[in-house]
Amino acid sequence: MPLYVEKKPEVLITEDGVRTDGRKPYEMRPVRMTVGILDKADGSAFIEWGGNKILAAVFGPREVHPKHLVLPDKALVRARYNMAPFSTPERKRPGPDRRSVELSKVIREALKPAIFVENYPGSVIDIFIEVLRSDAGTRVAGVNAASLALANAGIAMRGLVAACAVGRVGDFVVCDPNHDEDMWGDADMPMAMLMEAEEITLLQTDGPMTEEQFREALKLGRNAIRFLYEMQKEALRRPYQVVERSVRGVV
Amino acid sequence: MFESEMLTHNLLREYVKDLVSKGQRIDGRGFQDYRPMEVKEGTFTKAEGEAWIKLGNTQVLVGVKADVGEPFPDTPDKGVLVSNTELLPLASPTFEPGPPNENAIEVARVVDRAIRSADAVDMSSLVIVEGKLVYMLFLDMYVLDYDGNLEDALTIASLIALGRAEIPKVEVKEDGEIEVKEEKWRVNLKDLPLNFTFVKIGDQLLLDPVLEEEQVSDAAITLAIDKEGRVCSIQKKHGKFTMEEILNAASIARSKWPEIAEKVREAI
Amino acid sequence: MSESVILVKNREVVVPGQPLAKGRFKLGRDVYRDDSGIIRAKKLGLADIKEDTVSVVPLSGVYIPKEGDIVIGVVSRISGSTIIVDIRSPYQGVIPIPRGRATERVDMRKYNLKLGDVILAKVKAFDGSSSLLLTIDMEGLGKLEGGYILEVEPAKVPRVIGKRQSMLTILKEKTRSDIIVGNNGRIWVRSPSLKELLALEKALRKIETESHVSGLSDRVSSFLTQELSD
Repeated sequence: MPLYVEKKPEVLITEDGVRTDGRKPYEMRPVRMTVGILDKADGSAFIEWGGNKILAAVFGPREVHPKHLVLPDKALVRARYNMAPFSTPERKRPGPDRRSVELSKVIREALKPAIFVENYPGSVIDIFIEVLRSDAGTRVAGVNAASLALANAGIAMRGLVAACAVGRVGDFVVCDPNHDEDMWGDADMPMAMLMEAEEITLLQTDGPMTEEQFREALKLGRNAIRFLYEMQKEALRRPYQVVERSVRGVV
Repeated sequence: MFESEMLTHNLLREYVKDLVSKGQRIDGRGFQDYRPMEVKEGTFTKAEGEAWIKLGNTQVLVGVKADVGEPFPDTPDKGVLVSNTELLPLASPTFEPGPPNENAIEVARVVDRAIRSADAVDMSSLVIVEGKLVYMLFLDMYVLDYDGNLEDALTIASLIALGRAEIPKVEVKEDGEIEVKEEKWRVNLKDLPLNFTFVKIGDQLLLDPVLEEEQVSDAAITLAIDKEGRVCSIQKKHGKFTMEEILNAASIARSKWPEIAEKVREAI
Repeated sequence: MSESVILVKNREVVVPGQPLAKGRFKLGRDVYRDDSGIIRAKKLGLADIKEDTVSVVPLSGVYIPKEGDIVIGVVSRISGSTIIVDIRSPYQGVIPIPRGRATERVDMRKYNLKLGDVILAKVKAFDGSSSLLLTIDMEGLGKLEGGYILEVEPAKVPRVIGKRQSMLTILKEKTRSDIIVGNNGRIWVRSPSLKELLALEKALRKIETESHVSGLSDRVSSFLTQELSD
């Protein structure tokens, strides 16, 4: 029995476009990214986005088990998206449900085009995304973190994949929908792009949009993605800059 | 400590054993020293109580979630505590995705047993309406990075998570309707039963084994000690021990309890 | 009309997909040319611009075997005719056990190996995807006895060795240890005592994290002096 009951907010967005968390339609929630947070994984990253806290880790390229899955001419890419039981207000039963199975596939398809799989024939690259705390937009947050983890693991890539969701609430196209908008809004469109060519590798939507709205949503998503891409680059470079500064400081 | 999977090489075995015979460990610790422990600042989940701790390079995250429901038929006057452990595939190259295997289940039950046998959580205080409605506490233990000694790390994190948990108060109105109030209450931890894991290498006992030590160990055992120094639960893992060795382990564990209990108290 | 432009500084930290140069440059390692002719990084690493060749020196990544590499492996399986060796790579190494006339040409004592034995081997052949052939027949190759194995990021092995073995010499002398570095990131070490081994481990971590900041050899040298004084 639920200890937490959701109440639909009276107003999702005002006439002036002010959202339930005070943001304007084009504004994103605060984001923080960190890499190399796990010791055993080959690559790892942690992302905090709005209330989301998501861990991504990569193992690979490594030997394929079971052997019958081996692809002789390229790496096998596997992804697992999983939500922790304590990631939601109501405890979530551990284990994959239909939604996580679908998201795992969608995320794999978002990242695979970025990887030079031909460089690692006969091996597997495993990507794990664990949602520790969920607050709308977990799949796109996961994609951002997983891209960092892949780079952190030293895997050959065409570029980083950055992702953001865009939604529609009434007549407003909104960037980075929050929980209320995700639950009660009119459309939710997660998207990801392989940078720097800005090729779309993830695109889904679950509500109607007119052609103008769709066009606007794609542009809004792309701009947010460009911003997130800059943050990804900074996150990858940061540990090296920190070390450099501390070394120079001593010397 | 999951033997089959990891390939250990013979030099590791020989070197660790050689060091132990000289009273040393591969990371320079004493036989009875814990690795540096850190409780991470911040909140990372939507649990009612949580703790993310590092023990050396081992990292675990434990969340306590509360719900209400019917008690078990044979204990109508007690709340429910359910413990679950996930050995996440991202924590080790040897962990595979899937439902908990025998290792995950054993670890969960060992941690749970320490808490239950010491009566650390006052289970009768979890009752709302006897026989009908009780609080159910779910202890979800997430292993994020495996570098040895999950039992101790998870027990510490679980106690901190329980101690920090703030649970919405639930009342049953006269008409039988269940009402969730704004007010929160905290779990009353009556004890801090801590698990102490030892591995045997040669004929020496090493506390808080690091992964390599687990891999080459001849035997392993975990004992839980409560605040009065009593042994409240034991799990012998692999291998064999003499009676003296076990009594010795219990004595060492007893002497280390105050140090670790203090860290747990500070974190709560 | 293609102008040749370099877009990054030498030794700058670059990310996958980052544009490095435009125009008539040769492709070195871990870079690629995109559809519009721009040379981009394939991995997180340091840009390495030498004359007309653009490369990236990766900062991390799993070991991919190359012919001629010296590797430290662990025997993981022995069948009648082959020895399977784990070399910390997605690819398992295979050593065929000589039979018949071939046994006359080699030192067969070397093939007396057990599961878990640590060996120094050379990569004889690798087809890039499934068949990795190792050999222990040359002088100095074969089972390693005593000592301990430390691991570093394979990408950092060149820094552990240093130009003309300069870094390796510092490590050996300061810690008075025997050290053999495998290209696969495994390092065999024999130190006089635990103290030197722990100092060496710390020095290796230092090399891993500071490899991108110049002056590393001096820093490692002073670090070890300090660590091992008294």
